[in-house]
Amino acid sequence: MTSEVLTIKGLSKSFSGRLVLDDVSLSVHSGTITAIIGQSGGGKTTLLRCLNLLEQPDRGRIDVNGTPIFEDGVVCRDLPKLRRSVGMVFQRFNLFPHLTAVENVMLAPLDAGVAEDEALRRAVELLRRVRLAHRATAYPEQMSGGEQQRVAIARALALKPSVLLFDEPTSSLDPESTGEVLKVMQELAADGMTMVLVTHELAFAGDVAHHVVFVDGGRIVEEGEPRQVLGSPREQRTREFLTHFSREGS
Amino acid sequence: MFQVPWSEYSADLWEGLLKTLSYTVVGFVGAALLGLAVALLRLGRTRLMRVPALLYTEIFKNVPLLAVIFLTYFGLGSVGLKLDAFQAGTLSLVVFYAAYLSEIFRSAINGVHGGQREAAEALGMGTLSTFAKVVFPQAMRLALPGTNTMLVDLLKSTSLLVTISAAELMSQGRLITSATFRALEVYLVIAAIYFVLCYPLSQGLLWFERRMHAGVPLSARRRRRLRAARALLEVPA
Repeated sequence: MTSEVLTIKGLSKSFSGRLVLDDVSLSVHSGTITAIIGQSGGGKTTLLRCLNLLEQPDRGRIDVNGTPIFEDGVVCRDLPKLRRSVGMVFQRFNLFPHLTAVENVMLAPLDAGVAEDEALRRAVELLRRVRLAHRATAYPEQMSGGEQQRVAIARALALKPSVLLFDEPTSSLDPESTGEVLKVMQELAADGMTMVLVTHELAFAGDVAHHVVFVDGGRIVEEGEPRQVLGSPREQRTREFLTHFSREGS
Repeated sequence: MFQVPWSEYSADLWEGLLKTLSYTVVGFVGAALLGLAVALLRLGRTRLMRVPALLYTEIFKNVPLLAVIFLTYFGLGSVGLKLDAFQAGTLSLVVFYAAYLSEIFRSAINGVHGGQREAAEALGMGTLSTFAKVVFPQAMRLALPGTNTMLVDLLKSTSLLVTISAAELMSQGRLITSATFRALEVYLVIAAIYFVLCYPLSQGLLWFERRMHAGVPLSARRRRRLRAARALLEVPA
């Protein structure tokens, strides 16, 4: 495999005395897609949010592109710079409602010092990539959920991050919008974008992911190739989750 | 019915009107700036920031404006700190309305969804630009209705400055009354002038609120940016 974009070692985190991440270690390689699955409240979203330090772990170490960004409570000095190399897409889109789609995509590059013309050119190009150029001057509230999430993906890509994090990107979408968003993600995957996604879309995870991680009770219970983890899980806990999930899903 | 020789007083009324407007503008701008500072302190991280701001707000919210005016003009004057009517008048309006505006601003800033701040931070924006470019513009929208009500209220409250002969509209009215003994006629005219000032102002502010709500870009820079975006979109990829 190629170089490691993200490396986590011994990450722990508790919220008011309750341990939500318990000694978690994980590697994400360049150009791969890692899907984190598991029950709600099992710690998968917290794990994802630790990767760009929206949530600060208590212990452990995180490296991004070989540079330590967090080590046992000490955060790297240039946090904004780290975050520009780690893009994030949220469950509830979190687009800036006071700005149009194209301005949403341009805001962070302009803030980071990219020239106006260049930021605009790149934003339009990204909106074309998510097939929303025709909605460039629309405001978030004028767009469907699927359109908003695709703008959010374009926004996260605007700073040319080396990895994209997705926090249940289709959980608040209807099936049609979900399809649109998954299609864009599939295209990104085909382009070799490194991605980490927390998802309930097990079929999608099975299709596109290179690596599936099952998190439960704040620990990585099982990880490996999707065919193995989703198809013939070794752990009892994983089997229970998958049985329960497929029963709920059908 | 009209027996007051109004043409003789038109210059006085005009002067009073300008004075009222300058009290309003200076008082409101000062109150908005101080109110924002107090709101930010109330949202501050340490008690040392929050407690004084809270005390300030509670004191000025629970003391009548007239008492504040008398304290700054007569009270401070009696201990040697002599302010003229304009200084005392604007200072009173600023400190009094800043307390109310700080409450409006604080709840507006709190009203911006936490996910907005997170999204900006995740995009590598610093604390200052997150506030300036993401939180503040949205908070402004939320604060607009309450702020506009306060602006109209402040304009009307300048009439209280008659008590320190501030030379604004109401003071001019009192002077004209004492010269003509036509209280009903004079104060009807003064009241009408206040109405003619306040009604278009509040309607105009409502129109502005609607425009802001519709997301109409107000700054020239944003309009230019959106024009450039449209132009770029015309060109096929």
